Amino acid sequence: MANKKVAIVAGAISRFDNPRHTLQEEMCAEAVRMILDDLPNLDLGTWVKEQDTAACYSYFSDILEQQQCMHWIINDYLGLSGLPQYRVESGGATPIDAVVNAALWIRSGLFKQVLVVGWEKMNELHIQKVNEAIAIAGDTDWDFVSGFTYNAFYATLETRRMHVFGETEEDLAEVAVMTHNNSLDNPYAQWPAQHGFGKITVDDVYKSRLISWPYRLYECAMTSEGASALLLTDAETARKYTDTPVWISGVGFGSDTMRPGDRPDNPAWKGLFPEDEKLWPGHVERPLSPYPDLTNFGAFRTAARLAYKDAGIRNPRKEIDMVMVFDPYAGVVLAGLEDMDFCKRGEGMKLLREGVIQPWGDLPCQFSGSLTAQGHAVGSTSIAEVVQVYWQLSQQIGKKWGAPKRQMSKARRGLIQGHGGTGCQAGVVILER
Amino acid sequence: MVKMEQPGPEKVIKQSAYDEKWWNDWVMKGGWRPEAWKIIEMKDGPTLTSLKTERFMIIHRPHANMFNHSYGKVSRFFEGLLEGKLMGTKCPKCGLVYCPPRAHCFNPKCRLAETTWVELPKKGVVHSYTIMAIAWPSMAHLQPLVGAMVRVDGTNTCLPMTMRDIDPEKVNIGLKVNIHISKDAKGDLLDVYATPAEEPKAPKRTEAELKRFREDMDKTREWVKKTFGTKTNK
Repeated sequence: MANKKVAIVAGAISRFDNPRHTLQEEMCAEAVRMILDDLPNLDLGTWVKEQDTAACYSYFSDILEQQQCMHWIINDYLGLSGLPQYRVESGGATPIDAVVNAALWIRSGLFKQVLVVGWEKMNELHIQKVNEAIAIAGDTDWDFVSGFTYNAFYATLETRRMHVFGETEEDLAEVAVMTHNNSLDNPYAQWPAQHGFGKITVDDVYKSRLISWPYRLYECAMTSEGASALLLTDAETARKYTDTPVWISGVGFGSDTMRPGDRPDNPAWKGLFPEDEKLWPGHVERPLSPYPDLTNFGAFRTAARLAYKDAGIRNPRKEIDMVMVFDPYAGVVLAGLEDMDFCKRGEGMKLLREGVIQPWGDLPCQFSGSLTAQGHAVGSTSIAEVVQVYWQLSQQIGKKWGAPKRQMSKARRGLIQGHGGTGCQAGVVILER
Repeated sequence: MVKMEQPGPEKVIKQSAYDEKWWNDWVMKGGWRPEAWKIIEMKDGPTLTSLKTERFMIIHRPHANMFNHSYGKVSRFFEGLLEGKLMGTKCPKCGLVYCPPRAHCFNPKCRLAETTWVELPKKGVVHSYTIMAIAWPSMAHLQPLVGAMVRVDGTNTCLPMTMRDIDPEKVNIGLKVNIHISKDAKGDLLDVYATPAEEPKAPKRTEAELKRFREDMDKTREWVKKTFGTKTNK
């Protein structure tokens, strides 16, 4: 099997905010321009001629964009007409899938370079219609038309976690405090752009309005506009641009049922993860398939284990130095750490309470502010998170953020996870320097 | 030669009346031409350290969609709602019962076997729940609105639905519920809702949590009262 090493040689973000009145193609051009500034050797003019480079485009919603095949506009605008181009779309998993795809194309040996560009425009519809455009990624006959918003579905998942494992409202608020305060030095983040640069506390989270119990406003992702870009290459090509590439050493992706309600007795998952089934507590009636039930995200598990196998990782808790969990809602951080084997099922809250996932802990999570504070411009979100981890691992935070104190000097390996729906599809990417 | 036949034309068995003119007017509404425009100034740039003042023109652009949607081979469920019945499907091979129904069993052992229809009891158990302080616009007057994932008795699935006649403070996992279908069923899942079938036992909350919870509910009810008058859930 062709198994070429995949390098990241540059990454860029055009910041997340709502609104950003700049067009999608203009935000994408801003991000790609930053890559061109970082790589003076890069000659776009040769790409079409050589046909050894592809473009992988990532955006979620034709409705939010008011445009089908928006990537045709982007590709043209960037001056890349004639390049092999492809669009990836899988709801919230769109951008992580784009990175996974791009890495696999390079490994296949067909392309030496892949430019990954992601964006989303989320401010041009009434907020209710924005919620609707997102929610119709849920089953429109059976989930969406039940009176539930997407917030409500994630809230029922979290309520179940609280009931089964004893997570508390304070845990959720503490996650939100961490993500918001993490975003304050990040010049690409939406939270400080809108709310200023002061730290928040648990009480501030409690004061934010209830959305769908147990979730409050500050515990939910922001809707955003923004763009991001990554240039991936094979090892030989990487040398042209840099002496210190960061490697994509593992990728994985996975799936679970479309409707969360079909998970507790899903016959396909029965007995798949016996060690997690054993942790089912006696005080709650046991479903046919106790993992993942509604408390966890099975797609994160399968995606992560594929990626660990791919990267040769045996003990993620010891071998990975920083994590970005895709967190449309605060509780997903804690569930995700369990599903991706950073702790046992039900112990995500321990990692939080012991400070392990704080910037000063030994497994910093969500250092950019992630979806609740950096923002969630869907098609761009996980690409931007990959860019942030790439900047950390290539020691560029000082330059890219203007905040050298936020550079984690010892980190060697980072994990970025993304997902769509209620965990219907997930992807995991592992970076290594 | 095996004989082929044409599947159509469709034969209408029964249909409910609707305002065709209203429907068609909506279909054609907007048509993308701007209703109005505005010109604004705002700072923009790719980072918060490189903002410049820019000028943008914004148009108000209308566009509407109206769908004629088929429920396919699970249409029986929705026809059931019109008759006040709750229908599910059962796999003849593995015996799993689905509500939401599937026309084909998704148990990998059953090789997508075709399922058969069964009528289900209108009873179930709350598998998990939430209390919506932001619900659908058409249900905003019912806020705070309990949403429950209900395992219908005898099924291997949970059906999401809203609850009535329940104090949001008392809804809990494991609560037995009665399932109801609206008398004026329109033919979608919003026709289905649940009420408690036993005295609800509230989940454990600390004093601070309970205080916060009650304040949240009061705020939500105040908003509803202000917006819709006295038509509240409690």
